[in-house]
Amino acid sequence: MEQELREIVRKLLQEGAIEYFIGYAEGVEPLHTTPCFIEREEQVQALIWSPLCPYNLARYLHQMKNEAGKVGLVVKGCDARAIVELVKGNQIQRERVVVVGVPCQGQVDLAKLEEAFQGVEAVEGKGDTFLVTVGEKVHRVEKERLWREKCFSCKHPISFEYDFVLGEMSPLLLARGSESEFAMVEELERLSVEERRAFWRAQFERCIRCYACRDICYACYCQECIFESRAPRWLEKITTPLDNQTYHLIRAWHMVGRCIDCGECERVCPMSIPLRLLYKKVEKEVEQLFDYEAGMRVEEVPPLVTFQVDDLDLVTQESS
Amino acid sequence: MKTIKKSHLAEWLNTVAQGYDLFGPALDGVVQFKRVESSDQLVFDYANSVVPPKNLFLPQTECLFAFRREGGSIILEPSGGLERERVLFGIRPCDARSLLLLDKVFNGDLEDTYYQEKRRGTTLVGLACPSPPQRTCFCTSMGIDPLSPEGVDILLTDLGDRYLVEVTTEKGEELVEGLFLPSAEGEKPKGEKGKSLEGIEEKISSLWEDEYWRELSRRCLGCGICTYLCPTCRCFDLTDVGSTLGGKRFRCWDSCMFADFTRMASGVNPRPTGKERVRQRYFDKFSYFPEQYGVLGCVGCGRCSQYCPVGIDIRTIINEVMARGAK
Repeated sequence: MEQELREIVRKLLQEGAIEYFIGYAEGVEPLHTTPCFIEREEQVQALIWSPLCPYNLARYLHQMKNEAGKVGLVVKGCDARAIVELVKGNQIQRERVVVVGVPCQGQVDLAKLEEAFQGVEAVEGKGDTFLVTVGEKVHRVEKERLWREKCFSCKHPISFEYDFVLGEMSPLLLARGSESEFAMVEELERLSVEERRAFWRAQFERCIRCYACRDICYACYCQECIFESRAPRWLEKITTPLDNQTYHLIRAWHMVGRCIDCGECERVCPMSIPLRLLYKKVEKEVEQLFDYEAGMRVEEVPPLVTFQVDDLDLVTQESS
Repeated sequence: MKTIKKSHLAEWLNTVAQGYDLFGPALDGVVQFKRVESSDQLVFDYANSVVPPKNLFLPQTECLFAFRREGGSIILEPSGGLERERVLFGIRPCDARSLLLLDKVFNGDLEDTYYQEKRRGTTLVGLACPSPPQRTCFCTSMGIDPLSPEGVDILLTDLGDRYLVEVTTEKGEELVEGLFLPSAEGEKPKGEKGKSLEGIEEKISSLWEDEYWRELSRRCLGCGICTYLCPTCRCFDLTDVGSTLGGKRFRCWDSCMFADFTRMASGVNPRPTGKERVRQRYFDKFSYFPEQYGVLGCVGCGRCSQYCPVGIDIRTIINEVMARGAK
């Protein structure tokens, strides 16, 4: 599949169809891959694809606003929805992006992998298993043992917004489906208001406000972020639990109808704050109130960008 | 060689906790150096904390003083200092070196009383590093021995069922006073030597306009992880909260990776793009810090590589600098 990818990119560059291509490359050690920007044909060998490619590369399309020409990139099913949203939000033009879809077989959770094995050299997906290479040995592991949490409720493993497809788009994960998608939210909802407040307070208390969750987010493309505005100054750098909570709740509101559950915010958080749980709640509310799922179709109008006379009144819970 | 049995360590730490505020590695979502009441709350099986122990000396948010207007004058009230002497248990050799580096900044020609008070009032009990190191560790390349007692008052080295105890300062002696430390035969294990980075200052200085910084900045998101989790990054911002009638002045960590870090009141920004900002961080570690203080400004803890959201690895950057820089 990697070879196929490299050939597609080589051809695109040869034909001058794109300015550069955004893909995945190896890092210093085998478990850490890194995004890469391929500008010249001789660089295509660097491109890789494996279950250790978590990055949502659509985040890097923000740069296109200041550039000319087309850009190519690899997307998993979850990332493809970011492209749909970026088009909807007038951040990119679809025709300026060349999308190479990969049939994702689920991504590996590094923490789970490191707990199970030491000295892993490579991980490869094969059917229902991951092949984990440690020294001379290849271990066959059930995918469920190593998947990232978000992969368990993956509804869109197949990238649907693409110009090229790698390998076969097999609906391997679809059957596992979405039945438990909001289970973790519902569990939290069963707690009392005080218990929930205490839960989140404890989580936000350890936030160091590095803003990685914002900066990795495909949907955070404001020219001036509210948290950076000097006048007025909405939020200081002070890291009291209340300030931290304000930061996270403002961000959560800004994600209404836009979060695509790529889970990148939670993955990058160095303090292990369960941000996906927060954003799943936002997603659930949007689905229930507006029967809307972000990132599905370019023609759809996001619920908070439009107003209809018969919209549900959120206070009285009645349609006017 | 003096030693202490592992089974006696917890008991000793509990005694320490009675006379001092005890800080050590504890689990709160992730491993952090936190104040604990007893040794039960400590974790011993850890590589290192996520946030370096610099936050105990240069807290992320620190109130410097309160101010209020009374009549025609302004009253300043200093913030409370340490209530008790502190003991920090479990600091690793890389982080111990980082405090020696921060001392040069906050305890040098200019004295930062807030930092100094916390440094003076804290006894450091280090834990030598386990082998093998973490995937991202490279302290040996920064001239640090992972089994060295440099910078700590007491160093404990794991010998299986006991720890080797090296007491190097008077502060350390005070802490083990009256404690029976049986002698044992044998020798302390030896640390490894790392790669030599001779000439890195000159090499990086020759790369000011190198294309590499632009390439790197394309991947970089400009978040604060590498600086906030760096044990030697030390930039801060001052903020007044309140009104002209009264309020508090805070000192908070800041990051050269943030776009607004160098933005001036006029709107002009001397580091306008990611390229200048990324370059700044590595020039600080390998050019400015050695130039000012005579030693590399990185301790090889590997946190920036381990937690970078997009897999940017400082070891790659060091290798690139060594390869690209002027011979």
